[in-house]
Amino acid sequence: MRAPFSLIAELTHRCPLHCLYCSNPLEMQRVQDELSTEDWKRVFAQAAAMGVFHLHLTGGEPLARKDLPELIASARDAGLYVNMITSGVGLTEEKLKTLVDAGLEHLQLSFQDLDEESANHIAGTRAHAIKLALVPVLKKFKLAFTINLVVHRMNLDRLDEFIQLAEELEPDRLEIAHVQYYGWALKNRSLLMPTEEQVIRSLPIVDAARQRLKGRIHLEAVFPDYYGSFPKACVGGWGRQTMLIDPAGQALPCHSATILPGMSFDNVRERDLRWIWEFSSAFNRFRGDAWMSDTCKSCERKEKDFGGCRCQAFMLTGDVDAIDPVCMYSPHHGDLVALRVSKPDLLPIYRG
Amino acid sequence: MTNESTPRIAPGCRLHPTEEVLLIPEGALELAGPAREILELTDGQRTVAAIITELSAQYPDADAAEIGADVLEMLNGMEERGVVRA
Repeated sequence: MRAPFSLIAELTHRCPLHCLYCSNPLEMQRVQDELSTEDWKRVFAQAAAMGVFHLHLTGGEPLARKDLPELIASARDAGLYVNMITSGVGLTEEKLKTLVDAGLEHLQLSFQDLDEESANHIAGTRAHAIKLALVPVLKKFKLAFTINLVVHRMNLDRLDEFIQLAEELEPDRLEIAHVQYYGWALKNRSLLMPTEEQVIRSLPIVDAARQRLKGRIHLEAVFPDYYGSFPKACVGGWGRQTMLIDPAGQALPCHSATILPGMSFDNVRERDLRWIWEFSSAFNRFRGDAWMSDTCKSCERKEKDFGGCRCQAFMLTGDVDAIDPVCMYSPHHGDLVALRVSKPDLLPIYRG
Repeated sequence: MTNESTPRIAPGCRLHPTEEVLLIPEGALELAGPAREILELTDGQRTVAAIITELSAQYPDADAAEIGADVLEMLNGMEERGVVRA
């Protein structure tokens, strides 16, 4: 069996930001339950040995871990490609040098909006100016740099200017990502869901940017799920490309798998990665097509989307084995289409 | 990119030590044919012309003009993808 291409390490759920659309689970892992330095080093060595290419350090905020340089060094020594997704809060030039010297190769910084007030509102903290100030510091280092623009109803009308801001910051890569409705984003869905008009207006803007930036900035744009007719191959297909370890060591097939009922997840404290990848009940639960409805089983798209997103199917239908309602062949597709017309909530709900 | 350019692999991209892939942010590009040998010479020091000369020496039976065209095409494609910088 081919090893996963990537290992996502949620080092901690501690975070200075409180984004409206945070994808962390509503029930977060506590500090005292976090894996130790030695646990993570063992996990990274196992991952490299089984053939994983990329390690994505995330959280929460990875910088909250005091042992971060040591963790990065151990991952690089093991042979992994090391990427870090950070808020940038607390990242000084000196600290960044330590991380790059340890072997950090790629850093991702997300922006919440164009103007400071709105960006800070969405992030639930004053981080926008800190992020902007960090960019020239990043440029001093031999490091790939990705800017992630997270878009939704509150900022999608300003996408053109938002892309221009990113362009001026000259990243190597630019990701335009629509909010996906898991975790806190699901709670705030009616506040974040773009209107159909907004989505239609945004498409030529993205296409024009892709052309304009060609050869300078590599652009990747993720289409908003709820406006699709066919589901995405979530995490590249269940148990096919990705493995995620949460702060307490649970090995998960995706960010939000813990919401699915009737599942048990093995822990890297008790089992090694290869065993979990190949034999655990969780990773095998939605592999192949035995679990699929007859509609999916007989559909040629099953080789493209592998049945879509299990968490989304469960959240929207209550049935983990249901067809992902993004799919036009789902009997629940109409319910999803109805959600596209959004009605504003009065107040956002922030994570604690 | 021209024969006088001195391309280098972009920051955050590197050859996998054992597998035939170029690791890039968020992905891996599969390397076919002499792609690895070309990228090993893509060091920001050598010109494209020098890379072609060295590669031609490694493949004396191949047509030098064809090698030159292939090298330029590959490096141009990788530059457009942002993983090689001229």
